[in-house]
Amino acid sequence: MASERPLLDASPRPPPPPPPPASSLLPPPQQEPPLRADRLAFSLDVPDPFRREDHPQQQQPDASRSVVVGDPSAAAAAAAGFAGNAIRTAKYSVLTFLPRNLFEQFRRLSYVYFLAITVLNQLPQVAVFGRGASVLPLAFVLFVTAVKDAYEDFRRHRSDRQENNRLARVLAAFSAPGGGEFPPKKWKHIRVGDVVRVASSETLPADMVLLATSDPSGVAHVQTVNLDGETNLKTRYAKQETQVRFSQDGSVGGVLHCERPNRNIYGFQANLEIDGKRVSLGPSNIVLRGCELKNTTWAIGVVVYAGKETKVMLNSSGAPSKRSRLETQLNRETVILSIMLIGMCTTASVLAGIWILNHRGDLELTQFFREKDYTTGKNYNYYGMGMQIFITFLMAVIVYQVIIPISLYISMELVRLGQAYFMGADKDLYDESSRSKFQCRALNINEDLGQIKYVFSDKTGTLTENKMEFQCASIRGVDYCSGKDSCGYSVVVDDLLWTPKMAVRTDPQLLKLLRSGGTDEETKLALEFFLALAACNTIVPLVLDTRDSKQKLIDYQGESPDEQALVYAAASYGIVLVERTSGYVVIDVLGDRQRFDILGLHEFDSDRKRMSVIVGCPNKTVKLYVKGADSSLFGITKSSLDLDIVRATEAHLHKYSSLGLRTLVVGMRELSLPEFEEWQLAYENASTAVLGRGNLLRSVAANIENNIHILGATGIEDKLQDGVPEAIESLRQADIKVWILTGDKQETAISIGYSCKLLTNDMTQIVINSNSKESCKRSLEEALATAKKLRITSSTGTLSPELASESAGITLALIIDGNSLVYILETELQEELFKVARECSVVLCCRVAPLQKAGIVALIKNRTDDMTLAIGDGANDVSMIQMADVGVGISGQEGRQAVMASDFAMGQFRFLVPLLLVHGHWNYQRMSYMILYNFYKNATFVLVLFWYVLYTAFTLTTAITEWSSLLYTVLYTSLPTIVVGILDKDLSKETLLAYPKLYGSGQRDEKYNVNLFVLNMLEALWQSLVIFYIPYFAYRQSTIDMSSLGDLWALAPVIVVNMLLAMDIFRWNWIVHAFVWGTIAATTICLFVIDSIWVLPGYGCPRKLNAFMSLHAMVPHFVIKAFSEHFIPSDIQIAREIEKSENVNLVNRSEVSMTRLDDPRR
Amino acid sequence: MPKYSKFTQQELPACKPILTPKWVVSVFFLVGIIFVPVGVVSLLAARDVVEIVDRYDDACVPANMTDNKLAYIQNPNISKDCTRTLTITEDMKQPIFVYYQLDNFYQNHRRYVKSRNDGQLRDAAKANQTSACEPEKTTADGKPIVPCGLIAWSLFNDTYSFTRGNENLTVDKKDISWKSDREHKFGKNVYPSNFQNGLLKGGGTLDPAIPLSEQEDLIVWMRTAALPTFRKLYGRIYVDLKKNDTITVRLSNNYNTYNFGGKKKLVLSTATWLGGKNDFLGFAYVIVGGLCFFLAFAFTLLYFIKPRKLGDHNYLSWNRHPAGR
Repeated sequence: MASERPLLDASPRPPPPPPPPASSLLPPPQQEPPLRADRLAFSLDVPDPFRREDHPQQQQPDASRSVVVGDPSAAAAAAAGFAGNAIRTAKYSVLTFLPRNLFEQFRRLSYVYFLAITVLNQLPQVAVFGRGASVLPLAFVLFVTAVKDAYEDFRRHRSDRQENNRLARVLAAFSAPGGGEFPPKKWKHIRVGDVVRVASSETLPADMVLLATSDPSGVAHVQTVNLDGETNLKTRYAKQETQVRFSQDGSVGGVLHCERPNRNIYGFQANLEIDGKRVSLGPSNIVLRGCELKNTTWAIGVVVYAGKETKVMLNSSGAPSKRSRLETQLNRETVILSIMLIGMCTTASVLAGIWILNHRGDLELTQFFREKDYTTGKNYNYYGMGMQIFITFLMAVIVYQVIIPISLYISMELVRLGQAYFMGADKDLYDESSRSKFQCRALNINEDLGQIKYVFSDKTGTLTENKMEFQCASIRGVDYCSGKDSCGYSVVVDDLLWTPKMAVRTDPQLLKLLRSGGTDEETKLALEFFLALAACNTIVPLVLDTRDSKQKLIDYQGESPDEQALVYAAASYGIVLVERTSGYVVIDVLGDRQRFDILGLHEFDSDRKRMSVIVGCPNKTVKLYVKGADSSLFGITKSSLDLDIVRATEAHLHKYSSLGLRTLVVGMRELSLPEFEEWQLAYENASTAVLGRGNLLRSVAANIENNIHILGATGIEDKLQDGVPEAIESLRQADIKVWILTGDKQETAISIGYSCKLLTNDMTQIVINSNSKESCKRSLEEALATAKKLRITSSTGTLSPELASESAGITLALIIDGNSLVYILETELQEELFKVARECSVVLCCRVAPLQKAGIVALIKNRTDDMTLAIGDGANDVSMIQMADVGVGISGQEGRQAVMASDFAMGQFRFLVPLLLVHGHWNYQRMSYMILYNFYKNATFVLVLFWYVLYTAFTLTTAITEWSSLLYTVLYTSLPTIVVGILDKDLSKETLLAYPKLYGSGQRDEKYNVNLFVLNMLEALWQSLVIFYIPYFAYRQSTIDMSSLGDLWALAPVIVVNMLLAMDIFRWNWIVHAFVWGTIAATTICLFVIDSIWVLPGYGCPRKLNAFMSLHAMVPHFVIKAFSEHFIPSDIQIAREIEKSENVNLVNRSEVSMTRLDDPRR
Repeated sequence: MPKYSKFTQQELPACKPILTPKWVVSVFFLVGIIFVPVGVVSLLAARDVVEIVDRYDDACVPANMTDNKLAYIQNPNISKDCTRTLTITEDMKQPIFVYYQLDNFYQNHRRYVKSRNDGQLRDAAKANQTSACEPEKTTADGKPIVPCGLIAWSLFNDTYSFTRGNENLTVDKKDISWKSDREHKFGKNVYPSNFQNGLLKGGGTLDPAIPLSEQEDLIVWMRTAALPTFRKLYGRIYVDLKKNDTITVRLSNNYNTYNFGGKKKLVLSTATWLGGKNDFLGFAYVIVGGLCFFLAFAFTLLYFIKPRKLGDHNYLSWNRHPAGR
């Protein structure tokens, strides 16, 4: 659980701080940054989904690469196996396309099955269909897929080529002509060790360690939007050693040792040997391929990872493939069908054997058998009983293979494509504010959306907007919480007015106190408080031009929205962060510009749950500012000193968090000289260590962060997104359990729970908050007992327990924290937790780490058949999103990591309601029906073939021509099901939203289950009997020939199955009409066309249209449908009737949320 | 913003049929009203057909050879002539169709159906094309058989002639095959050669001087039957027959069905617009139509006994078990 999400500090990835000076204790304010022996050295402890994979590499001492700066050839790049910078995202080349693409395609088991059948058909003894005809369907499918793949790959080739041929300026070797200059070079020719110069707004061609930038202090800003989607600028630094060397004589040099290429985009460890010194490098010194240089005129770096070894390429893997539940269930039915197939084949072959046995003596003379070929005197095509049975079996497999529908897989793909299109096009899933469309990233689990039972939601950024707003401050035990109007505060810099971009509501009393300029303790501490807020962070102020040339805007760029809120707040109170460079910050303190040196920064980590900076103040004192979680800070306070303040602050914190505010505690300490020196030594040592740097730095930080004076606390409001309470209410009505998994602390989580209506006052809360395994066990047992007691008292009647717990109106809410989960997850207590959680209708997990989130999802997923959905927006939700059956990413503020890992991505939490209740319901209903219908229609056809075999001496002759039987699945019957699978709607959007409980049909597997499958098979059995025997009895003892009867048997199933589809269609719009009737017409035309080709045996067959007499077969279906719809109506049926009879009312009801263009009342 | 249209929002105007009691009952009634008359008419039509069936394969074996029918049929020295007497049960209007019916003969047997070559039948230039014709492909010395294959080889070769008293009833054997077959499937310049020259004779022979397109018996035979019991048209008699007429049939019983227990029958039949004497379809329509009437009635009754208001909220499952009960 080491990689835990910051709990109070929402910054997921603290950026590197400015470097500390090492030479002097209290450096005087300087205009030029001093030369420093050592600069940035950090190891980031970042929540990262790939982290676990990286560990082994990091621990291998020899797992490093050496790069000679500026000398790619001498770097022995080739020998060391460094990749060139040419990238290749294309999968195939012209030569490898065919074998590789076929290999990829045949990884689907079903294709192998069809291939085996096709191969079987090529054996002369068992050939049933003509060779060409049998290959056709599979070839068609393979061809279509191959063309699609080829086109995609062609596009990849093109983009690869463009990418590889882009130009970058690369330092030429000094010996070569034009040495020391940067002539352009194609990206693909760049090698590890090359020194590249990048100008502003240019894209970086490879992962490079910065050597020098246009900024004298070595700062460069990069935008990583291509990498992680975050649009804010990140600050990267060149080492002072290389910066100075380059600026002096334009030379570069040194040998760089770094890690092997890995996927962690937030981690990098290396050191540089230059001029006999060893300089350590961290993630703040590397700029990655795909990023853009911004706000920096130029930057020079040495390539360390190129081409496919760059972090962006290592991370460019698609979303994990999941399999829908329906598809898993479908496999079960496929097995049943295979058994049926084997049964039919066995029956046919055994009967064939018996027939041969009975006619053993006759076979030679019987005209229609004639065992012997008299020209050779040998048996012709007869190999004895056993062999004959075996061959019959194989032939039967070929003839009846259609029972496992090949077209179903293509149909499903097409239907999902169509469904995905409509989900993406739905205006209800379009987020206007972020202009983000709904994205279907995984194309194979659409129908799972209709069966969700558990929703696991992240809080920050998902339920809330992740737009932090400073609300309250508690300073030295005084609560300033009555912020009313927001007055902007501006500073004057060089005759220009600089205004922070955002103004925060300020408390007049506090403002007055600060502006009074008093020298009393209270004012000083309040000032100190805001100084801490302004300095103890990683925010970079950017100055933007406005239309007014006299005015400039300060935009605080940073990776943590909390920190942004705090800095804006400080600015509004008059303590304005104006400039941040490496090594110092400039803060305008109530009009007085002061420079503070940042001597060291201990970044946030999940063990300490706090961050701190060591600041050299203008008055030559050294101060430590700390901010962090309350639990973390109260643990290191000098409690003997400010007991009252601690108590008061605690009370305020409690108040804030019950208001739903995110809280942080701020503290400080003045450092004495020996303390500082001791710290500085340890800090330097830790910073230059290549291995275990993170741990060393952590312990350095833990040593200095003690005896803190509490300055105060802050309360930041995390605003709920639009419509979250309503959405949660809808989900609850739909019997979807919503669990919140958050990194926030318990009080905050509970208050958010209340504000989004997840928790209500009539709930019984069970809180599990333990620090050991034993107490966890006890709490769980108690919880279980409580739950049981409640159930017993409420279920006095005959109602089932499930209903009872709801009917009694007493619902349980479980609140559990990450500490307890440590003792529960992956131990035997899991089972207990699961039992308790199942009893509860609401579960809130607070302070959970990313991996724990995944663990909780797994807890439910592995123990029940219920479908789980995880929704989140941040990198910390990735593991949970990948673990759940369905992962939804919110494309919000916290970057695109969650979206990249998700199956579906959208802009707002509330879209979950239309997504699940409407689209999920439709997708599930459509897909279930389509699968069952496909099984049914193919079984009908195969059974018709089977009955005929009983009248051909069991020799597997098919009266239906091979073309008809091949076209049956591909053409005659598949198009209507695809159209219906995309377009049919059992209920309208309005109805589904008005009655969320209708969602239950998917949760209960009502539309696809074994019973329905059996029912469909029985229907197929009955209909095949009618289709076969009506013509059979009608034309028994007549002159009818095989082709004519075959045509009847080919057309009749098409008519019957399409009529059945027509009966089951809910909504007939013109497209559906066109496809259903068009297919029947097209089949008839096809049969006429086939029969007008005189090469084929069916030439000139009359009486095809008699096939319509098979409509007798429809009677039972109609009876059952009419009966069940009226006398045992399903909820959906009732809702359809309501929809039809109360159309107007429904529209009225939903008018609030939908602005309908076609108001029926007009 | 995605483009908004009724199509993209899945809001196309559509009809939403619901099986209301009215609809259900009317559908049943309608089907009944259509099916019963159709059934009655086809029953009547089938009743009008007069059909006389005479099985002769057993009866035509001489009394002394009934134990060894195979020896009888295989011995070329025994005369195969046979005389049958038929009594007309009803008046029969011309044209009277003469069929032969074979039982238990699997013309749809896989080995058999495939054993032909359509190219060879159609085109004289393709006489050598005998693929798929095994085991009746070529003669022992390798000459191609035309027409090749088991189907042609097993050509039915019983013949019939009819007299009523002294009057000869001529059997018209013209146009007994499909026009399309004569014109497109059997060539006008394709002549039989090496046919039925093998060790084992399967059936009839063909006159090598007549092109295949005029060998109508062969064309009829080669349009393979769908079922193991089948009839094939032998010819037509353009004479009206009266009730109680006695017809004498002189037949030559050449075709071997004794070997596999097949039956041979001679069928005289009139025809209607509907086809032969088969009342199955009529019954099917009457029964299903009647069933629909019954169902219409039954559903009406059910709807009265257990009425249900359409779209009644109380029937929603969560309203049927409301909270707190």
